[in-house]
This record gives sequence, C-alpha cells and structure tokens, in this order.
Amino acid sequence: MIKPLTSIDELSKLRAELAARPRPEVEIRVCSTGCRALGALEVCEALEQEIESRDLDRRVRVVRTGCHGLCAGAVAMVIDPPGIFYQGVTPDDVPEIIQSTVLNGEIINRLCWADGDRVIARQEDIPFYKHQTRLVLRNCGVVDPRSLEDCIAHGAYSALPQVLSAMSPEQVISEVLASGLRGRGGAGFPTGRKWQFARAAAGELKYVICNADEGDPGAFMDRALLEGDPHLMIEGMLIGAYAIGSGQGIIYVRAEYPIAIEHTQIALARARQVGLLGTNILGMGFDFDIEIRQGAGAFVCGEETALIASVEGKRGMPRPRPPFPATSGLYGKPTNINNVETWANVPRVIQQGAVTYSEIGTEGSKGTKIFALAGQVRNTGLVEVPMGTTLREIIFDIGGGIPRGRKFKAAQIGGPSGGCVPPRYLDLPIDYDSVEQIGAIMGSGGLIVMDEATCMVDIAQFFTEFVQKESCGKCVPCRVGTKRMLEMLTRITEGEGELADIDRLERLGQMIKQTSLCGLGQTAPNPVLSTIRYFRDEYEAHILEKRCPACACQALLTYRIRADICTGCTACAKVCSVGAISGEPKQPHTIDISTCIKCGVCYQTCKFQAIVVE
Amino acid sequence: MADRISLKIDAVEVTVPEGATILEAALSAGIDIPHLCYDPQLGLPPTSSCRLCVVQIEGTPGLVASCSHPATSGIVVHTDTEEIRQTRRMVIELLLSDHPHDCLTCEKSGDCDLQKYAYELAVKEPEHVGEAVRPEPIQDGPAIIYDRSKCILCGRCVEVCHNVEVTGAIDFLGRGFDTHIGLPPGLPRDQSVCTECGNCIDVCPTGALSFAGAEGAGRVWELERTVTICPYCGVGCQIVLQTRNNRLVKITGAPGLGVNHGRLCVKGHFGFDFINHPERLTQPLIRRNGELTPATWEEALDFAAERLAQVKADFGPDAIGGLSSAKCTNEENYVMQRFMRAAVGTNNIDHCARLCHASTVAGLARAFGSGAMTNSIEDFEKADAIFVIGSNTTECHPVIGAAIKRAAVQREVPLIVADPRAIELTEFATVHLCQKHGTDVALINGLIHVILQEGLEDKEFIAARTEDFEQLQAAVAPYTPEFAEKITGVPAEDIIRAARLYAKAPAASIVFAMGITQHTTGTDNVLALANLAMVTGNVGKPGAGVNPLRGQNNVQGACDLGALSNVYPGYQKVDDEQARANFEAAWGVLLPANVGLTVVEMINAAAEGDLKALYIIGENPMLSDPDLSHVEEGLRNLELLIVQDIFLTETAQLADVVLPATGFAEKDGTFTNTERRVQRVRQALPPPGEARLDWEITCDLARRLGYEMSYPDVAAIQDEIAQLTPIYGGITYERLEQGSLQWPCPDSTHPGTPFLHKDQFTRGRGKFHPVQFIPAQELPDDDYPFVLSTGRILQHFHTGTMSRRTKVLDELVPVGAIEIHPDDAQELGVGDGQPVKVISRRGEIEIAARVTDRVVPGTVFLAFHYREAPANRLTIAALDPVAKIPEFKVCAVKIGPAD
Amino acid sequence: MCFSRSRSASVTYQVQECFGYLPPPALKEISQRTNIRLSRVYGVVTFYAQFYTEPRGRHTIRVCRGTACHVKGAGRVLDAACRELGITEGETTPDLMFCLETVACLGTCFLAPVMMIDNQYFGRLTPQRVQSILRDYQTKQ
Repeated sequence: MIKPLTSIDELSKLRAELAARPRPEVEIRVCSTGCRALGALEVCEALEQEIESRDLDRRVRVVRTGCHGLCAGAVAMVIDPPGIFYQGVTPDDVPEIIQSTVLNGEIINRLCWADGDRVIARQEDIPFYKHQTRLVLRNCGVVDPRSLEDCIAHGAYSALPQVLSAMSPEQVISEVLASGLRGRGGAGFPTGRKWQFARAAAGELKYVICNADEGDPGAFMDRALLEGDPHLMIEGMLIGAYAIGSGQGIIYVRAEYPIAIEHTQIALARARQVGLLGTNILGMGFDFDIEIRQGAGAFVCGEETALIASVEGKRGMPRPRPPFPATSGLYGKPTNINNVETWANVPRVIQQGAVTYSEIGTEGSKGTKIFALAGQVRNTGLVEVPMGTTLREIIFDIGGGIPRGRKFKAAQIGGPSGGCVPPRYLDLPIDYDSVEQIGAIMGSGGLIVMDEATCMVDIAQFFTEFVQKESCGKCVPCRVGTKRMLEMLTRITEGEGELADIDRLERLGQMIKQTSLCGLGQTAPNPVLSTIRYFRDEYEAHILEKRCPACACQALLTYRIRADICTGCTACAKVCSVGAISGEPKQPHTIDISTCIKCGVCYQTCKFQAIVVE
Repeated sequence: MADRISLKIDAVEVTVPEGATILEAALSAGIDIPHLCYDPQLGLPPTSSCRLCVVQIEGTPGLVASCSHPATSGIVVHTDTEEIRQTRRMVIELLLSDHPHDCLTCEKSGDCDLQKYAYELAVKEPEHVGEAVRPEPIQDGPAIIYDRSKCILCGRCVEVCHNVEVTGAIDFLGRGFDTHIGLPPGLPRDQSVCTECGNCIDVCPTGALSFAGAEGAGRVWELERTVTICPYCGVGCQIVLQTRNNRLVKITGAPGLGVNHGRLCVKGHFGFDFINHPERLTQPLIRRNGELTPATWEEALDFAAERLAQVKADFGPDAIGGLSSAKCTNEENYVMQRFMRAAVGTNNIDHCARLCHASTVAGLARAFGSGAMTNSIEDFEKADAIFVIGSNTTECHPVIGAAIKRAAVQREVPLIVADPRAIELTEFATVHLCQKHGTDVALINGLIHVILQEGLEDKEFIAARTEDFEQLQAAVAPYTPEFAEKITGVPAEDIIRAARLYAKAPAASIVFAMGITQHTTGTDNVLALANLAMVTGNVGKPGAGVNPLRGQNNVQGACDLGALSNVYPGYQKVDDEQARANFEAAWGVLLPANVGLTVVEMINAAAEGDLKALYIIGENPMLSDPDLSHVEEGLRNLELLIVQDIFLTETAQLADVVLPATGFAEKDGTFTNTERRVQRVRQALPPPGEARLDWEITCDLARRLGYEMSYPDVAAIQDEIAQLTPIYGGITYERLEQGSLQWPCPDSTHPGTPFLHKDQFTRGRGKFHPVQFIPAQELPDDDYPFVLSTGRILQHFHTGTMSRRTKVLDELVPVGAIEIHPDDAQELGVGDGQPVKVISRRGEIEIAARVTDRVVPGTVFLAFHYREAPANRLTIAALDPVAKIPEFKVCAVKIGPAD
Repeated sequence: MCFSRSRSASVTYQVQECFGYLPPPALKEISQRTNIRLSRVYGVVTFYAQFYTEPRGRHTIRVCRGTACHVKGAGRVLDAACRELGITEGETTPDLMFCLETVACLGTCFLAPVMMIDNQYFGRLTPQRVQSILRDYQTKQ
C-alpha cells in the first residue's frame, strides 16, 4: 500500500520507485473487460494456473487490462515482449501459449490476426493498429486499471503536478482553449469556453460532472475508457476542477456498465487513499473529491440538464436553457459537464502542451477521436484516429472492409442523433464541421457500417423507434412528433406507405428539429432526414413497388424454396416452428406463405441455399 | 431596483426589468404569444414543454421558446411570422392527433386553450394520424375527474400541486408517449395526500381535469359568473360562482384573483351545494302546540315582536339577549347590534367570536391597543421565520397553510411549529415543539427567557416602543429551558433552538389560532405571544407580526361591527361616555351603559331564569358551545327563542319562531377577512322560497318594536357604518368595487393598512404583561385519564350545517372519528375504525376510533362538526376570566367500549 | 442536505436489489424516510427503465437492440426468444422463470447480435442458438 502523498515530490519519487521495480520477463496483457463476454476471466485464470504450476511466477505476469480495441478478436491478449497479439483465445489454448510462445518464442499462427493467408503476429504491424493514433487510448489495454501503482508507473497523474504547481486556473483554461479541444460528447462545444463560463459564474460551490451515460446504441468508447484507464479521466476532472474552482465532482455512469462502475469505484477509492482526491491534494491546498452516481436506464439522461435532474434524484427530464448549467446547474450551482473522452483528453493536452496537441487534427477540430466501429465491418472495435481521417481509412484500412465481399452502402455516424453517410462521402475528412454539413453529427463516435443487405428505411425506422422509446415525454414535438414519424415509417416498411408520407416526414422532421426542448428531440429526425436525402429511392421502392430492395423489411419479404435446388433433406421442415414447410423426404419442399412468420430460421438452416428471400 | 432593458417585439419597443422573459415582455406590451404549459399566474419557472410559444429572434438561427428565453437588450423579436404560425400549427396538429375531437360535447368547450389555438391558427384536420391514448376517465375521489385522452401533459396541474399547494399528490408517471399524470398507482385514495383542493382543475387548459359535479350542467357561455367571497374560513378567498338558471353549478378560482391568487381549498371549491339543498328553510315557522308549523312572514314577525315586547315589558331589556353571526355580512351584523342596543335597549349582544378569538381581541388590545392580525397574508412571502403555535393551518386555513409550506420549502424559511399534535405542518417544520396541552405560557416564557439570556432581544425597539419591560424580565426569569421542559415536556434544547431561529430572523411572523385562544388562560397565552414579538422587535414591519387566524369568514367583521357585549362598532367601548353619546345621537335613542352578557353567560343566565328571550342569527350553540347539556337546559328554559337561519339547525329545532334567511350567494354586502380586509360579497342567486335578507328581517322586527330602522340597500348601511366607525371611515361600496381595503381606513383617500403599529402602537407604546403559567382547569386523573382536545378537520366546517350538506365534503368524510394513539388503542383493545364511548363529567358520546400517532399517548382529539357525536357534550364551560372564552382545548375524558 | 435527497435514487436501487423489484410498501417506506412525496417517488421509478414495480422472473434476459445488433439481426433474436418463451418484450413468464427485456445497447457491439441472461453475455446469436440456450436454462432448473 502506498502511503498518502503530501507533496508533488513524493509523487515523483513514487513514480521513480515504481518504474525502478524489477519487471517480469514477460507480461501477458489480457483484455478482461470487453472480452469478458467471451470468457476472458477464464483465460486469465487458466494462464495464472499454468504459470503457477510451471513455477514461472517471477518471470511471467498476467495483467488484466482493459480493452485492446480489436474487439472482433475477443478474447484478445498481448504478449510483451515482443508484442504479439493473439485473438480468439480460449482456456484450452493456454498451455500451448505458455509453452510455445512464452517459453520458446514460437508464434501460434491460428491465434494470430490474419488476412487471407497473410498472418501478422506483432500488434503494431496489424493494419487495425498501424493506422491509428492512440493518444487517449494509449494505456488502455496496457495498464491494469485496478492498480493505481501500475497506472502511475505508466504516467497517470503526471499532468496534475504541473497544473497545481506551475499554472494558475486561468492559465489552465487558456491552455485548454489554445489546444482547440472540443467536447467529445456530441455537439463539439469548445471545452475551454465551457470552463470559462463555469469559472466566471458567481458562487462558492461549483460542481464538475463527468457524463458517462453513454447511451447511444453502438457506442462503447466511454465504457472502454472507464474500464481500461479510469485514472486518466479522474486526472482530467481534477485539472478541470482546479481550473473552474470546483470542490466536488460527480461521475454519472449508466447502470448497464457494471465493470466500468466497479473499476471507477476502485480507482476513486485508491486515489482518495493516496491523497490524490480529498483535501489539500499533494499539499497544494486544493480540495476536490468525486462521487459516482448510477444512471437508471434513460437515454435522455445523456442530455446535460436531464443528467442534472437525474443526479438530483428526479425524473431525468431536460429543462430549458438558458440558464445554462455553467450558471445554474446541479442544485442550482454553477456546473460544468464534460463526457468521459473529453476529460480523458485533458491530461494529454497538459502533458503535450496546447501547441503540440493542436498539431493533430483539422483546422476546426483538434486532437483525436475515438470511434466505436461496428456493424458490417471486419474489425469491429475501438479506433482512435486524428480528426480529419476519412471514412475510407477508418472503415477499410483500419476496419478491414466489409465481410463476405458485400458492398459498402452507408455509415451511420453519431448514433440516434446522427445520420447515414453514403459512399460518395467515403473520402471526406471527418471532423465536427464536415460531418454536420452532410446531415450527420459526430455524436459520441458510434460508427455503424452498413452493407447492401441493410435497408435504409428500416434503419430510419429503427432509430426513430429508439428515440421514440427514449423520449422523456416532456415536450410535444418529441413526444408526439417522433411517434407520428415512427408510425409513418412503420407503415412504409410494411408496404402501407404513401408517397406523401415522405414529404410529411421531412416537414415534421424539420419542425421537430426546430422546436424540441432538448438535444435528443432536436436531433431525433436526423437519421430519417439523412436517409431521405441520400436514399430516397429506397423509400420510393417501399411505397410504390411494395418492395424492400435490401430484403430486410420482413413484412415485404417472402421465403420460397427453389425446387430445382432443394434435395428434400427435411432440415428446414424440422426447424420451422410454425409448420409452414411441407414436403416428402427427398422431394422438393414448399413453404406455405400464409403460415410463414418469416423468422428466417429455414433460410439459415438450409445447407444448399435452396431457400430464397424475395 | 433591477436594471431595465429594451427590446423590440413585433415592431413595438418594449422595456422590461432585466431577467424578464420574452413572453413576459410581450405580455407587458399587450402582445399575446400562444402558450399552453406556462401559466404566469402560478408564479413558477416555465417548464417550456408545449413549444407553442416559439418566436424568432432576428439574426439567430431557429426558434426559441419565449416563455423561458430571457429578453436581452436590443434584440428584435418576431412573434407572428408565417413560419412561426406554421410551426405552431404543427404543434397543435400533433396535440390534436392524440386528442379526441369531441368539442361538441366536451365540458370544456369554449373555455379550452387547445380549442382556442386550433381555431386561431386555423387548424382543420390534423395531418398526422396515429395511435391515440383513449383510456376511460378516472375518478379517484368525489370531485375530480381525469380524462387522460384530453391531457396534453402541460404539467400545470403537477406544478400547482407540488409547488403552489405543496401537496404533491400527483406527478408525471411513465415516460415518453406513455407519460401520464396520476396519483401513485395502486394506492387507495384515502391514503393519498390529495386533498381534492381542485386547483388542478382550475389551471388545466383543456378538459382533462374537470369537476364531476358539474358534468353536463352547463358550459362556459351558459354560465353566469359572480365574483364573491368564500363562506368558510377567515382567509377570505375570492371565488367565482358559476350559475345557470338560478342554480349554482360550480365554484372556481380565477387567475390571480384575490388574496388567494385564484387558489382554493376543497371546501371553497366544492363545499357549496348546501346553497341549493332541499332542506333549506323557505318559509317562516312558528311553534304551535309544540310543533314548528309554517306561517306567513306577517304572522312570524308579529309573533316574535309581540313576545319580545312582552318580555321587555315584564323583565326589562336585559332579559333579552341576541347572538349575531360571524357568517353574516358586516352590514347584517351592524344592523343586528343596533337592533339589540337601540330597539331592545341592551348590550346583551355577542357572537361566536367569543368562542374562538375573544382572548385574542382582549390580549392584543391590552398589549398593542388593537385586537386583530397585525400583518397581511402576503407577508408570509416576506417572513424570514415563521412560528406557528396552536394553529393547524393547513386544515383550518388551507390557503394560508399552503403559503407557509411554500415559505418553508421554496424559500427554506425556518418554520417552528408548536402543537401537541403532529399536524401536517410539522412535516415541514425545522423544529416541532410538542408541548403538553395548556402549557403555552410556560413554553413562550421559556422562549423569551432564552432570548434574553442570549442577548437576542431588540434593545432599541424595547426602549423606543414599549413599556414595562422590567416586569417581563422578572416574570420570565424562572423559565429556564429546563424549567420550561418540566412543564411543557418540550426538550430544553428544542426550546433553545426555536428561540434562536425566531429571534435571529430579520422579520419573524407568529401565527396562531384556537390552540392558543381556547383556554382558561387564553388571554395570557396571547399576551405571552405579544411579549415574544415585542421583545424581538417583530411588530410594525412587513413579514413579522402577531397573526391570529380567524376561524369564520366574517368573524373579524362581526367583531369590528360591534356584535360584542362590551363594544360598539370599531371597538368603541359601551362604557365610554363619549362613544355612547355619539351612537345615541346617530341612532336617536338612549343606550344602556352597562356591558352586556357574553355567549356563555347568556346561556348560564337562561338556565338560571334571568334571561328570558334570545334572538339568534346564524349561530348554532346547540353544537358549537361547550357543555351542550347545559346549553340545551338553558335554551329550553327560555320563554322565547327566535332563530333566523338557512337550515333548521339543532338550535332552530328548539325555537319558538324560525325565520328563513339567505345564504352567502344570495346577498350583497361585505365580509372582513382575517387580515382586516373588507371585501365585497355579491348576490348570484335569488333566495329560495320566501327566505329574506337578514338585515331586512331585523329591521322589520325593530319597526314592530317601535324603533324605526330602515335602509334602501346595503351600501347605505355601509355609509352609516363609515360615519360611526373610524377604522371603516373611508370604506365605501364605490371604492370596494375597485378593490378590497384593509382597515384602519379612516378616510376616503386612505389606501388601507397592510400592517399595523408601524411607527407606534395603536395604544401608543406596546405594553409588556408579565404572565405566569397556570394549569388547565380540568386535568386528567384516575377516573378520566385522557386529555381531550377539540378542533376542526379540513373537510368540514364548524357545526357542519353547511359542509355536511355538501356532496363532495360529505363523501370525503361522512362520519367523525376520535384520534387515539396506537399505544392507548392497544391498551384499550380498540382497533382503527371501531366505535368507542367517550365520557366526560358532563356527558358522553359514541364515535369511531382513528388510531394514529398524530396524537401523543394519553391524549385524544375530536372535531366538533358532528351532530351525531357532538364533541361539546364533553367539553367544559370553564372560562377565561378576562375574555370569557371557554376552554375547548383541554378537558378530561375516559374512553370505554361502545354499547 | 441536497446530497441526501439526491441519494434517494441509490436508496431505491438498494431496495430493489433486496426485493428484486419495488413493492408498493417499500416505495411508501422510501417516501417516508427520504421525505419525498410518494407521487414523486413513483414519478421517478416509472421514468427509469431499470426500476421495476412488478415481481421479476428468476432470470432476466436482455436482448440488445443496439444498432450493430439490429443490422446483424437482433430482430430475429428477439422474435426467437419471444417464441420460445411464449411472452413478448417486457413480460415475465407465468412460472416467474424468465423476464424478457430489450436494452438500447449493451456496449458489446462486436459480439452482435447479443443477449444477456443475468450477468452472462451470449454473442453472435442466431435464432437457433437462442432456442438452444434457453432450453438449456430451462432443463438446468
């Protein structure tokens, strides 16, 4: 246990001591957060047993880290040195890994990343990693997030001493302003400006809040940061609190993230125990502490005034702004809210200095952005790239393109508030401003890749259903308007739409954007408006031809068995839960369309591709 | 004063204080921007949920909600462009897509904001159709119907319930399209905190909330509206009577109207149908052969006058007594006391103020020189601390109760509540002093002791404005917190805490009611409170004062107009020769100089045969007075009992002649509320049958006694009052049409007086009275081990004559119950709702037990509204020696199983 | 002062963890202890998806309806679960064994389509796998 640190010197000494500790020969860094879903903990246990049984404790250490980023490869691990990346590891692979790779230095090809015949063993050589700039995620997947020592050894809390000892709050704010850092939560408001407002607001008691209510479907970067490197965000909050003049911080995290909550709680307790939180931090006369609050399952609480209401124990309903939280926020006190990724950028800004930091990115958008890459893309996972990287680089160079040889159709950026970007913008440098120009928003960084089998009307309907369900119900345009939009979209996907509906959707969408009370409502029509803008033909096909070009809208599909291919193996008839398939063994089968519920089980069961969807 | 800023709205230059919203700025310039969720009258921050009030600010993209967007200097705002209209049209269309289109039959048609805006914006068929929520309307209680299908979720009802009434019965439930408003689901209504105050109905902009009793009875254009004053408690709320074809359909508040700002309580809103009740008296009755039988007015008046004249001739005028009414108008009270003094020739005139605030009048007159609420109701919004003692404000004066709750919750003003029961206000209290019954003097002396001990007194005020401070110092010296704790049972540290909270506030208000006054030490209690206020300089400034809350709608007025045995109108003493000479001159007759009998003294005199005739207007001593068996004995012993009332009350049933009179909705006049505010009462309905105005009846009787007294109308009576009553000197009907006036209002240019004793006390200097603790007259013992305290409940009023003839109130609380602590109930083997027998030395009743920890062990509480279980059969007629008020608050009883 | 009031949500959470759901007497108790009106307690509880006022099944199935899962067939996964259990989204099986919910995103998009049973994730699902997983659970009991 570390003794409480009472000065900056003591922290520096500690860091030096930790760095000087004897290191094991090999570290095996296993993602035990995101990969837990596929048995990462079992893999860790197997590794530890194996190491113990071979008496390798002193030479080999298992580090339970956060996310490595390449989630498609779960369970993923890095063996360092020499930095070999293994994926799809199961406990059964463990003895071989220890024997062959750790002890004998041999590569196990089947566990390596591969592109066709090309096998790449070293992490840094894998295209997924090669094209990234891991600034914020630098230690994610490297450190043990539950070990403060490990984090300090890797540089945690190295910006804070500089701030406390050499910078006035105003200087911190100008540094952040100069860095060009913009809020990573969605709208991209300049972080320094926000801090200025909160600092200028009258009042002794001020709050800083970390918004970790990452509710966008398809976004998981905040989760990864909290799980994999919580001290980075805590350090960011400390710096922000110092700059603003706040003594109390709150992390609002959604309850659906149990590991993130656990790791953050551990991190807070450890930081408090060593005196990095609490009173007179590092002997510099600065007092600050952080509490953690759990969300209870309401997407709208990502909106800052709703979040404040929720922290206050109320229904998470937004309220009109002004007054902005900077002047009247939590309990009516000046409050500054940033999201996890924004806070996590702050120590980097200080460490590098605004000038270096602002060299990354585009004119109006500085630094990196983390995207959660998912959908119909080979390398799903977390991707950190400089602002201004093109979609093509992200999806094809890093993401490895679309599987099964299908064609790219659209990328959905920004979650339910965002829009669908068509192929023609693949080479557009992505930053806050460019994305907005094409009808999407950066949002928190969810990036869902869609291929030709994705129906854009269905996607529009999907997002509208989401926001409709998540609408808090307070203001009329969002509560009733999104409901009416959803009803129209549903009619269209069911072949009941009329051409005038497209017009109505556009007009209603514009009105909802203009009149809704909060950001959720103001952006709710974006997916619909952007799909109409770029994929109007698909809407028209549903309406005029009663046809879903992507064969995704169930109501418009029929399943048919091609008699020329069907061998009569009866497999489909056996799996059909409603008995819609009939036929004699060894004779071509048929589907009774009136009974068929279009569940698709037969389609996936048939080994002969005899079942077609039309 | 805040800085003012200018902006331009629709080409109009508007100047408003900084901080105003665009909507406020527009409204101030007479530009109406459509809005549904925001109700400026609530005085609450906008919720900004309907989005109808959107406007365009030049040079900024998009639209902003004008209800919440601040007006800033130099901006140019457009409120009515085609784009804005189009947007508003869509908002209305969306609302209509989820709203039944049944305006043809909707109760709210013509008075519905949604309908109005749909019309104004020319919305025809809503463009969007889809799922609509159509559940059946819900009626949880007797009064309020919630039709969710018509609810637009504007939230005004939730706001008024939580932030104006501070009741918090309803809230938004669910989320998104499924959001609705309701009581906590699955909770029985009787466990809900909803008081059915009905203010949610008044603020609802659509037909979603409505009054069950008015269904189908008339819509806005069919109803006549008359603004008048509520006939229940002394708050004096302004109400709007809505009538159709000479029937009262409903009562509502109106935005911002009156001292209540349009808000009412359950009685004010729904307790009115007694006025149309079939049991109303419609013709005079004369007792013939022991039976009350119908008679003509001529017969009845002749009968009454002849018998009165006979008694006067045989036994002298002092053998006749009169009881006036705190329910009648100022004019009627004036006429009644003139009748007794001038036509009969006696000062035997009194009324029920004797039973509620006689000690207030006596105590405050001695200390300050004037016996009324020193400050105004709106002062509760200014107070920095509030000390409520002996007042169950939220039940007895609900609109003031809500103001106190708002102060405690929204302004976080320290609230000290001293009450032997855990009344609702204790939930909001910073400190609850649960004193033993009848120990108020010890408690208050304890508070003063702490204040002096800690040097928290206002030395300057004491020196400049008061006298006899040394006597006070000596009197409170023994009352250390520990000594006070011994007597009162209140922990010493709570006494210290309360003293500091009260004394340190820049302006602290004392609120009290019958918990202070209805004791044999009532006058002492009031004097002690006056001492407390003066010692801290809390008199003569806004937000402070000593504030007795008067129980009846016009008990203040009845006192002001001389329906008291010792004073003429305006508290001019009958034994003051100058005053008497003035009245003799004005009334043209010699007047008696001796002080007359008070209420209880008249009953005693009747029982002893000294009083032979009694003329009672609108009072029901057979339920309201202590020791009912004795009252009945007295009334039966009379040679002549004349009762003038609107129902055949328990008292009227004993009368020799019954004269049918008019209710509050059937007459013009004025009431004076608890804060000395004289307000107009207006006729909305004709009297039923042959019923007549009280003052006309009294004048007719006078004439038959040979004393000519007549007025063309009530305004003429007021003119006479103004001539003879300096504090009412400047009050005329003409002025009252412009707005109410608070007395003293000595001349026609005086604006009225919001708070008394500003630069000097009415009597000159404030006088400290040393008072010492004296125990209550009848304390529990082995035979009668419980302390019984009596009072009111929210849903009923006084003897129930009105409230129990009201459908809603009767359904809410059909029968009475006695509150018993769970420990006592267990010992007695009594379950909640089971009947018990309550016995005192004077009588017994049977009533159901309500087992509750609102009362402390060893005490029971009973409301006196119930004729079938009259609390006053148990109470003691022990009187305060000065004010002659009976000790309703303490007597000893035992409790046994019911037969 | 403010802080204690705002902790009502965490109190409510803890109560729910005790009972598995929030029975009316518990909510009443919360209201009394926190001095927050019962209507407001209900208002809050019915607002958030993670509070339940009805008894819950022994196992909670959460089918992810995130975007990634959606484009990879979450709809079919949900349909399969509904068919297998004979209930629809938001319902509990009559034997109180399962309750079936959807969730906006589990943050495991790389496993899409995903469902969670209690704290266990099941990724890359097909309707058949859903059927067999649920049958395993049923026979295990």
